[in-house]
Amino acid sequence: MRFGLYQLSRKGGRAKNEDRMGYCYTRASGLFAVADGMGGHPEGEVAAQMALQTLAASFQRDARPALAQPVAHLEDALLAAHHQLLRYATERALIDTPRTTAVACVIQNQTVHWAYCGDSRLYLVRHGRLLVHTRDHSYSQLQESLSRLAVPGGQPVNRSVLFTCLGSPGRPIIDIGGPITLQTGDRLLLCSDGLWATLKDEEIVSGLSQRTLAEAVPALVDEALRRGGARADNTTALAIEWEAQHAATPARDDLDDDSFASTIQASLETDSVALDEADIERSIREINEAIARSHTRRGRT
Amino acid sequence: MSKPKPAALPAGTVVGGYHIVRKLAAGGFGVVYLAQDPQQQWVALKEYLPASLAERASGELAPRVKPDKLPLYRLGLKSFFEEGRSLAQIAHPSVVSVLNFFRENETVYMVMNYLQGDTLQDFVITARDLKREKVLRESTIRSLFDEILRGLRIVHQHKMLHLDIKPANIFITNDNRAVMLDFGAAREVLTKEGDFVRPMYTPGFAAPEMYRRDGALGPWTDIYAIGACLYACMHGYPPSDAPTRIDKDRLDATLARMRSTYSDNLLEVTQWCMALDPLSRPQSVFALHKELAHESERRYSTLSLADRIKLQLESLKGGAR
Repeated sequence: MRFGLYQLSRKGGRAKNEDRMGYCYTRASGLFAVADGMGGHPEGEVAAQMALQTLAASFQRDARPALAQPVAHLEDALLAAHHQLLRYATERALIDTPRTTAVACVIQNQTVHWAYCGDSRLYLVRHGRLLVHTRDHSYSQLQESLSRLAVPGGQPVNRSVLFTCLGSPGRPIIDIGGPITLQTGDRLLLCSDGLWATLKDEEIVSGLSQRTLAEAVPALVDEALRRGGARADNTTALAIEWEAQHAATPARDDLDDDSFASTIQASLETDSVALDEADIERSIREINEAIARSHTRRGRT
Repeated sequence: MSKPKPAALPAGTVVGGYHIVRKLAAGGFGVVYLAQDPQQQWVALKEYLPASLAERASGELAPRVKPDKLPLYRLGLKSFFEEGRSLAQIAHPSVVSVLNFFRENETVYMVMNYLQGDTLQDFVITARDLKREKVLRESTIRSLFDEILRGLRIVHQHKMLHLDIKPANIFITNDNRAVMLDFGAAREVLTKEGDFVRPMYTPGFAAPEMYRRDGALGPWTDIYAIGACLYACMHGYPPSDAPTRIDKDRLDATLARMRSTYSDNLLEVTQWCMALDPLSRPQSVFALHKELAHESERRYSTLSLADRIKLQLESLKGGAR
């Protein structure tokens, strides 16, 4: 399985970045996810983080090395994340539950499946055209869909109001998509509303289709932030370019290829056990003390 | 995801008082330089500079790390410290010794003894290209692993595992010492918790439990790699990787073919170390060392006619390694 990937998350004009993104993969399967912790409820960044953590942990447990049932897996994992959030709130006796949106896709056997809850989106672009994007679980999207059925529309509604998310009191609505067989050059984008709410779909599609991912993703995110201005929302984009099912030659760099890799757990570390300056200084001091001790010991013998 | 590798520091650069002479090697974790300390002693200087996370244009000193790569960069730094810590505690001639550890250019450096010689891998490849019946002589293999196992015992006594033992990480110095290198994957066994990132492994030398996320790693994991090294010294090529062996194991057949070239005892020890089931291997380096050192008289069994025909058929069926 070969794919290119670029991910970027920016805080914008907000105090905190409550978006989270990440991916993990085995040699046969890959999981990619974006979560957007919700403002107006406590600890949005915790919610997004827990969602990703749960997705990654489930994937790590079940992908051996591929998932037997990707769709069921995604649904179960998102529901598990939902329950984790409820448990988290109960354990800490929070008045309100931390909430988050989440969109995740699994690529294996050259096929993509996805699942989402809320308004973080997935776009699939082929040959410069939008093949599919997810429909948000928001009232505005609902109204738009209904108006297409020629039902007289009511007042314009606030786009950002969601009728479901992970961590909400009711059982969350999880929509699924796929399977779509990928072709070489297909590009997938997972993003938070910071990106799609400020850029038009056409702009996202054309921005994503041109140039390399490493250039396209930062350009899209920067443009969204620029338009968002001083109060720009957290903006997160994770893009994947599908290359081929089989790697032409195994990488010589004995690094990965066969191993399990994940960015999600590592990014958990930022909040908990990241090394800070003091840790670095202390580690260096301890090592040098150990060197000195070993040398004296060696000198004696 | 391909990006240019960060540039190595040019010859003549001085870091932490060490004068860089040239680049010796570059790996996933960083760059190793040949350098001279202020007393004009040769040292090997290892710079933390993970190729996939850090960038450095040529001519610059400090690497740059993108904000989204920072968590992984810091996590890697932890492993780099672990390597330093492991090596610093161990003073043994068969384990490369670390002399100093310092911070500069917004990254960290480890100063190690500079060893002159070649890796065991170089020796095996040279020997195998001679196309003799024996790749390395049995007495050479035995004395080499006698030293390695002494060093490994000390490593395990410090509650650490090497986890990447392979001929490329065993160095034979010009004054004929065997030294284990690259403890980059070394992990303290006790800090199991939070051990998110599984150590990278080398196919052929990695025990089956290294491939499993819940596999219990222990001295037996390093012992499997020792077995694979013994195999490579006799056979000239690394053994099949563990998943292939689980699927279809040709180990016994290949070892049987080497009977009469190598002693039964050496072949049996190799087989014992490389058991797919961790519990069927020697459980400690001590047990293995004892078995390998205790060599009464070498017994060589020749193959029976039936065995030889069976082996020939096997190799005709293809894929003989």
